[in-house]
Amino acid sequence: MKRFFIVLAIPFILLIIVGCEQEQSKNGKLYIVTTTGMIQDALKNIAQEKAEVIGLMGPGVDPHLYKPTPGDLSELRKADVVFYNGLHLEGKMGEVFEQLSRQKPVFAIADEIDKNSLQAPQDASQAYDPHIWFDVELWKQTVDYAGKSLAEADTTNAQYFMSNTKAYTNALDTLHRWVKQQIAQIPKKQRVLITAHDAFGYFGTAYQIEVKGLQGISTLSEFGLRDVSELVNFIVENNIKAVFVETSVSSKSLETVVSGCKEKGHDVKIGGTLYSDAMGEAGTAEGTYIGMVKSNVNTIVSSLK
Amino acid sequence: MDAFWIILTGSLVASSCGLLGCFLLLRKMTMVGDAISHAVLPGIAIAYLITDSRASFPMLLGAAIFGIITTMLIEFFSKLGKLQEDAAIGVSFTWLFSIGVILISFFAGQVDLDQECVLYGEIAYVPLQTIILDNGIDLGPEAVWMLGFNLLVVITVIVTGYKGLLVTSFDELLAASLGISTVFWHYLLMSLVSLTTVFSFESVGAIMVVAFLIGPPAIAYLLTDRLPRMLILSVLAGILSAIFGYFLAVGINGSIAGAMASVIGLQFILALFFGPKSGLNILKSNLAKNEKQKISA
Repeated sequence: MKRFFIVLAIPFILLIIVGCEQEQSKNGKLYIVTTTGMIQDALKNIAQEKAEVIGLMGPGVDPHLYKPTPGDLSELRKADVVFYNGLHLEGKMGEVFEQLSRQKPVFAIADEIDKNSLQAPQDASQAYDPHIWFDVELWKQTVDYAGKSLAEADTTNAQYFMSNTKAYTNALDTLHRWVKQQIAQIPKKQRVLITAHDAFGYFGTAYQIEVKGLQGISTLSEFGLRDVSELVNFIVENNIKAVFVETSVSSKSLETVVSGCKEKGHDVKIGGTLYSDAMGEAGTAEGTYIGMVKSNVNTIVSSLK
Repeated sequence: MDAFWIILTGSLVASSCGLLGCFLLLRKMTMVGDAISHAVLPGIAIAYLITDSRASFPMLLGAAIFGIITTMLIEFFSKLGKLQEDAAIGVSFTWLFSIGVILISFFAGQVDLDQECVLYGEIAYVPLQTIILDNGIDLGPEAVWMLGFNLLVVITVIVTGYKGLLVTSFDELLAASLGISTVFWHYLLMSLVSLTTVFSFESVGAIMVVAFLIGPPAIAYLLTDRLPRMLILSVLAGILSAIFGYFLAVGINGSIAGAMASVIGLQFILALFFGPKSGLNILKSNLAKNEKQKISA
């Protein structure tokens, strides 16, 4: 019995040791924690050297399936301001952020967008598509909101943040026009974007290109046999040149479609890899939001034209 | 404090699951936890279709109801069809899961809806989700209260109903001859299992619950033959996994649930090779016996 109590005591001793760990000190800079790479990139552009901007989800990570670590918890504890996407992109993590907002400024950047410009399946009024960043115009609104929120959270640098926001949204305006121009180069009949999961709904509406996805919005939902055969028929009938895979989703399902088309005597190629839910490696051009959009558009235009 | 809350949450899950898991192990039904983790999908889908929201409470309610339905189906199939327990578990949960998949693809195909994103919680974030009263007093994480209450219910039922659970788990014929209702105790145990697993899914996610429901009881089973001791050892193994798992996760900055489950596996292997019932020890005692025989000869 004595041994039993000694064993029981070990956990409590360990707990006391843990309780004594000291909080790491910050270097005085504003500490901003974000979820996806897109949001991190936006805040880096707004805050520049006045703040340290951390992104919890690295390149190539699917936000629907993200698994946090103890390090993430301490980042959120350390954070002065937190930005996340919202619209259920982060799944149940959204509830965590709502709770966290009782203790520190937390902003869901998609909240500010007018609900009329959001897309939702007909039968589900509340379940909006969270992939807002593919419409550069919409993304600009969220960047604008993020800038204002940051200026509220840190009033001493408000002026600085606002002028950076202005500069960055101007760059996004230019990008929006460029994307429109590029997509318009594709002949109208060829303007169909086929991907593995439905992330490009906003892109399609904004730049007048028809979007078809094999899976639903969730990267977990399964595609049905009929989905595959319908998509194959559609590709053959409309003589589509290429379909696209995504960096954060398995390409297997689309390979089925490609071989299905081959059987019917139509040669459709995989047009290249699109960045959908995550950006490219940090340090490369695709590691920034603007670079990512440009890379996607170039891939689409060169394969479909 | 964060580390304390995470380890406490892990220990509460470990204790509830460890206690119930011992009885499941004796009934050869440990996989029921894994089964429930899949079978709750139609519950989630129906809760979504009724409430048109993905908030935690309706999801939890739908999942809990289907957890209980799963265990009833398992009992029904195994009794009526004289099917082995594992087969009954397999048939029940795959069937319910597939109904869930069909419901979602038919009614809610465009909505991001699955256990992973609407039900399963994440133990790393437990310390952030605290109950704060109107006057600003922080009562600690919601999950700790919920799981603590759950553990209290589990302990109360096991202490008051110990005899019934014991006899029905070991010998159904004896139970029947003593006038103890096997059906009653079965459903009581299974309802507790469904509630515990669903509550724990909501706080810490599926992998940890399944691991804690099977691992610690299996470890305890390797170490002792007596049920009371097995229950205590099971809880102890679970709590140790929670503690060491947490430090492992901090050390490698990885998933906490994954680390805790790995520590259970490690303990199991240690118990397997070095426990009193292990192959090594039996080999040793056999050698000693031979030695003695030689000497006496």
